[in-house]
Amino acid sequence: MKKETVLIQDTETAVKVQNSRIAAVRKKDIAKKAVRVYDKDLIGIGGAMGDIGWNTLEKSAVEDLESGIPYPHGIEGGLRDHRDYRRKSFTDEGLQMAMEKILGTLNEKFPALRFSEGLKQKETLHRMENTDGLDLEYRDAHTELFLLVKEKEGANLFDNMIVYYGRDFDVDGFLDHADRFLTAHLEKASLPEGKKVPVFFLMNDSLLGFLNRALNGEAYATGSSLLSGKLDAKIFNERITIEQNRDSERAFTSFFDTEGVVKPSDKVELVKDGKLVNVFTDKQTATEYNLPHTGAAGGGHDDVPSLSGAPLRFVPDAKNIANSLKGEPAILVSVTSGGEFTADGNYGAPVQCAYLFDGKRLLGRLPEFSIKSSLFDMLGKDYIGTFETDILPYTDKPLLQGFRMEIIR
Amino acid sequence: MISFPKHLYTDVRIEEIVDTRIRFKRKKLREQKTRRNKGAFIRVFDGERWYYGAVTDLGKLQSHVDELAAMATPVEGIEEHPVVKALEANERKEIRFEKDSVTKIPLEKKRGLLEEVLAFADDEAIVNTDAFYVDNRTVKKFFSSKGADLTFDKETTGIGITLDIAHGEKKDRMSTSKAKSRFKDLKDAKGYFAEEIEKDVDFVKRAMPVEGGEHPVLFSPLATGVFTHESFGHKSEADFMIGDETMKREWSIGKEIGPEILSIVDDGGVEGSGLTPFDEEGTAAKKTHLIKEGRLAGRLHSALTSASLQEEPTGNARAVDFTFEPIVRMTTTYIEKGETPLQEIIQSMDKGYLVDTIKHGSGMSTFTIAPARAYRIENGEIKEPVKISVVTGSVFETLAHVEKLSSEFELLSFVGGGCGKMEQFPLPVGFGGPYTLVSKLKVQ
Repeated sequence: MKKETVLIQDTETAVKVQNSRIAAVRKKDIAKKAVRVYDKDLIGIGGAMGDIGWNTLEKSAVEDLESGIPYPHGIEGGLRDHRDYRRKSFTDEGLQMAMEKILGTLNEKFPALRFSEGLKQKETLHRMENTDGLDLEYRDAHTELFLLVKEKEGANLFDNMIVYYGRDFDVDGFLDHADRFLTAHLEKASLPEGKKVPVFFLMNDSLLGFLNRALNGEAYATGSSLLSGKLDAKIFNERITIEQNRDSERAFTSFFDTEGVVKPSDKVELVKDGKLVNVFTDKQTATEYNLPHTGAAGGGHDDVPSLSGAPLRFVPDAKNIANSLKGEPAILVSVTSGGEFTADGNYGAPVQCAYLFDGKRLLGRLPEFSIKSSLFDMLGKDYIGTFETDILPYTDKPLLQGFRMEIIR
Repeated sequence: MISFPKHLYTDVRIEEIVDTRIRFKRKKLREQKTRRNKGAFIRVFDGERWYYGAVTDLGKLQSHVDELAAMATPVEGIEEHPVVKALEANERKEIRFEKDSVTKIPLEKKRGLLEEVLAFADDEAIVNTDAFYVDNRTVKKFFSSKGADLTFDKETTGIGITLDIAHGEKKDRMSTSKAKSRFKDLKDAKGYFAEEIEKDVDFVKRAMPVEGGEHPVLFSPLATGVFTHESFGHKSEADFMIGDETMKREWSIGKEIGPEILSIVDDGGVEGSGLTPFDEEGTAAKKTHLIKEGRLAGRLHSALTSASLQEEPTGNARAVDFTFEPIVRMTTTYIEKGETPLQEIIQSMDKGYLVDTIKHGSGMSTFTIAPARAYRIENGEIKEPVKISVVTGSVFETLAHVEKLSSEFELLSFVGGGCGKMEQFPLPVGFGGPYTLVSKLKVQ
């Protein structure tokens, strides 16, 4: 009988803000543990939160073998890989002082605005070991600032949000960004003329979600993906390369999947130069449908590993947004909530907060509007590019994507 | 027994959770487990700041309380602080589910029910299935330095099934679920899945692209529930109003915002995923009218917001689990039923759309609903299924466009998933209402 252990330890300190002042401090230290046992092509799992002994979990896992859950794939082994991505970290007092400084500056410079939510620092340890010599460890720490912005004279629940997510949070650098961002928020601007306009996003969640379903190996193989039957075909603009990317530096997640698979350079190309070259799979999907195995198993600490989604990343393909625009006015979206793709790839969404944008600067806040397009237009003839940029204080190296889209005023 | 620090307010919430999950993928068993977890959330208040801790080693609760207290500044007379005064100090034991608890149902019966439901997914157009059974029994203990001492329980049980459907070039992913508080009620609802699966397959085979624009939209009870939740529910959460004079004026009690037929309620005493006999601050469940006959009638409160706005607490301080602090959340929120039979409402529509099931919704200045199944209505009849990306409306205006409410009425619960508010997702909530005709919404 083979045995595998999983440990995920998250510690966190959060400074909570309400009505532009610090209202609370929250501390968490939560461990999630699981033991998996493998015997005669079956898997048994015992898992829990907290300080439960490994022996107790192993006993539960052995009992769970009686459920008869098949797992005929073998386990990873013979690899030791420990990686530590932690860099800067604040003490608890330092975190509170950072939030005090941020609020003090923003409250003074922007008396027309109110702020809520807060700043947190989270440290993660994710360890996976087994009796076949697998010994993986991922350690990371990041700072996350999330502030809801509300105009004091307005009746909306909130009007904008400022987000930072990264490892090198610098208060003064953030305040510079926030200054530009909020100054532009208070300037009114008009929507650019024309039916189709360049629109930029910080990685549109609806797009990534739809691509996750379309690039899923099981959906592809069973014919339910929009991309079924299109392997080796050109499907998007030739400048587009999309990876399944577990590079922890970028993805802020462990470099191994829930089956303990580590890929060379942590990446697998799914779309290369516009051509579909792979779909993402776990061991079960790869075996069942005779597809290349990409190491995309997911699930919680005590779940049977299975295919759900994969961390996708577009490879930057352009450097200078202003050059791409050639003087044409554009839109930079700050908040778009509730939009969706239909099954055949048509997309519609309201945009609750956006800026007039010239490729370098935020020129003012636009009135609310809606956008409309389709997957193959956005990633085809209407694709402008994927750029690394520091225009928004989102993360250490955020990606901005641009598409020409129909604007509904 | 916790020794509470002097001159500070302290409360402790302990949660014991037993849950079961059974999963079939492509009709093969992939998962079957019962888990037991326990944890606690501690709050200490010194009148200026709250200090929170989420812990799993319950043997060291006292030292965690002391650690948080050391961060606070004790103040004599803390019990006179308006927030502390607003907190209830109930002493009660309310165990309602133990007798026919889901934990007493054998695993084989639960698995058997799931397999029966899965058997309905036999159309050749269904190329993949992902089906799960889940149940949850949570016992909460709450005690505070004010003298609160509560023990109460909650149970839910449910089945969800996701279908990947491919019929030639037409393909989509559709999901159906049903949740109840008791296993026997879930068993009785088996037939629901047969109907829904048939409708899902038919939808994928026949759905046409929608003609966008502004149209009347008829929401099913499920869609009505999400519409109510997103278009208005979040606006009634009073934490958005603290210190905000503009919001208080805009949403003042008595203001007319909808027709007289419209009344909206939030009720923590309704069984289902929104059941909240006591909230995470120990406040007993209340039925709160948010809108009564078209006028703003109430708000949802925690102790902090009730003290801030000088209104009564409503039992709406909730947290996703024991690792989070309570914030103002909905429980079960619904439009009260109307008087017009559904058939009459449909017959009155020259044109418009019926939103039957949904993928998700959101609520900001614009609320959104992303339909899963929708149908065109013309000349008083339901016509072909249509593919709609999103239905949107202004949260300020849309309730005024509610035209008709049906006499048919249903309350529902989530199976997995729930409401999201900032970092706390998913919170189980209840939702529903009658069929609701809104005269003007943007359809894309």
